[in-house]
Amino acid sequence: MEDFKPIISDCIGGSPKAQSMLYHQFAPKMFGVCLRYAKDATEAEDNMQDGFIKVFTNLKTFRHDGSLEGWIRRIMINVSLEKIRKQHLLYPVEDVSVYDSVNFSDDVLAKIAADDLMKLIQQLPPRYRMVFNLYVIEGLSHQEIAKEMLITQGTSKSNLARARDILKKKVQENFSELIGQNNYTA
Amino acid sequence: MKKDKNLDELFRDKLLNYEQEPPAYILENVLASVAGARRKRKIVFWRIAGVAAALFLAFIAGWQINTWNSQEVNPGIIIGRQTAPEISADVKPEITPAEKENPSGYMKSKIVNKPGMVNLQLAELAKENQINPISEKSTKSIAGNSKSEHFTSVDESLMVAKNEESTVLKPMKSLFILINQGTQKVANSLQEQKTKAHKDDWANKTIDQQIMEQNRQVIMAGNQTKGKGRWLVGAQVSPEYNVSRSSHSQVYASNMLNASANPVDLGGGISVEYKKGKRWSLQSGVYYSGMGQSSGNTNTSSGKDYLFASADRGSGYFNTNVSIDANTSKMSMNSTAGVIEFKGIPSGIVLGANLEEKALASNAAILLDARFIQNFEYIEIPLYLRYTILDSRFDVEMLGGFSSNVLVGNQTYMESSTGKSLVGSTKDMEPLNYSGTLGVGLKYGLSKRIFLNVEPRVKYFLNSLNSNSSVTYKPYTIGVFTGLSYEF
Repeated sequence: MEDFKPIISDCIGGSPKAQSMLYHQFAPKMFGVCLRYAKDATEAEDNMQDGFIKVFTNLKTFRHDGSLEGWIRRIMINVSLEKIRKQHLLYPVEDVSVYDSVNFSDDVLAKIAADDLMKLIQQLPPRYRMVFNLYVIEGLSHQEIAKEMLITQGTSKSNLARARDILKKKVQENFSELIGQNNYTA
Repeated sequence: MKKDKNLDELFRDKLLNYEQEPPAYILENVLASVAGARRKRKIVFWRIAGVAAALFLAFIAGWQINTWNSQEVNPGIIIGRQTAPEISADVKPEITPAEKENPSGYMKSKIVNKPGMVNLQLAELAKENQINPISEKSTKSIAGNSKSEHFTSVDESLMVAKNEESTVLKPMKSLFILINQGTQKVANSLQEQKTKAHKDDWANKTIDQQIMEQNRQVIMAGNQTKGKGRWLVGAQVSPEYNVSRSSHSQVYASNMLNASANPVDLGGGISVEYKKGKRWSLQSGVYYSGMGQSSGNTNTSSGKDYLFASADRGSGYFNTNVSIDANTSKMSMNSTAGVIEFKGIPSGIVLGANLEEKALASNAAILLDARFIQNFEYIEIPLYLRYTILDSRFDVEMLGGFSSNVLVGNQTYMESSTGKSLVGSTKDMEPLNYSGTLGVGLKYGLSKRIFLNVEPRVKYFLNSLNSNSSVTYKPYTIGVFTGLSYEF
């Protein structure tokens, strides 16, 4: 693990050079995180900016007993969650029609590019997007998600199931060509 | 289920370490914002330091004015105004031949040096010269002599005070000017830097960003206009602990109750605050302030007279002298806050009169195991300046200012084994007094408009609460004001 102690120390001292270095080290990955939690690139940019301001103003509280990347990632997620909480987007449950379960082969899914998958996630309703990200990508349990988002575990499970259904439906809609090819080749 | 797992894995594999280069302007904004926050913290620090220094200087200035005022009290006049106790016919002080030869010169020097003996010596002199020892004429002429001396000394003391003012205030004034100039320079340079940075930022921004920035500024300006001049009304109560601070003329202090305890009183009232801007506010209101002190016996005298007088009462007696007015039969007794004037002679006390101890110069001693509690009640109208140091969920404020205190209650109680009873009041209490206050306020927002306030405050009186020239009584009051306020 890279030793960030000197650069952190300089950042705390207010050195713009050190701050730029630290930013460049983590910015691409953190922008990826922000994109996953946002509805579009603009919102992700806002969250990323707020997140890094928080990182630099709170860097002195970072205890060097964990990974810096994990700490920054946590800040980005918290900023994204907070933004949605403030906009009251977490609480109204969208009326999502029940999707028919759609099944694809693994080959089909593997052919979809990461950028396209990102767009699919961004199209999810905010709460479903949050639950899906926290459970599937971050690996949090339903209990932890419930605590984080102030919802019940049942709601978390239900939201995850809905998110999966929506994603499958979107895959079917957007990548019918791939599915068709796959069926043909199969 | 397996399909779900596959879907999850696919998303996780492809997006967990997904990277994308963010737009370059984010870094610029982040760095500018972080640098701005640091600058703001520095400015806030200097602002707080400036306010603290200003309040401290105001406190010191108040203190100095306070001290100079008290210095103007001339010991000569204190002596001249002493109430003379009645002279017992049995008292025969010795007179030296020198005194007989030059009685007037001797008297004058005694008046100045040993004022407590004035009437005693006057009586002896009168006896020698076959005149009435307590005639008004004699008293007036003596008062005239001492008065003329007093005026001379007052003039001198004023001259000294003026000189002191010039030597003490001048450096303070120049310090103020220096601080102001320094602050102005720092503010100007910061403003220049800010303007330059703003211009550079502006040139680098796209048209969209410039429009967005303009919109943001318009909204902010609108919000600032909305935030102008807010009012807060509130109610507060506080336990008030009084710390006695007094000085007395030697004669007065020689026969004075000893303030042994300061009871905790209750204060409180209604406040009105006008908030101008984000940090500064002006507060006034109406407060009730209870103040008091408990006095007991002094443990100094073990004279044979008192021992004799209290022989059948053990050690439970007062050795504090009282005087009784021959015309009104009203009893009075010296305390640290002023002369306690009794409405009558309280039941249950024993007076010893015409004791043999000459040095006491008194006609009576009170024999009782009791305490005297003097209560003063004030209505306070303050004018405080408040500055918000920390504007957060817990606001931290500093406050300082001055108050007018109107005396509305003045009672003296006697507390003994038989109970507590109202026995009189304290003489010569000033009806209007001025005080300075310094405090720290903690404000917690219970809702958007309702706040819980906790404010430790120290109040000190600028003038003596008692107009008796023998007494300088300026107590401190320490209180923790707790209450609610409503913003509209």
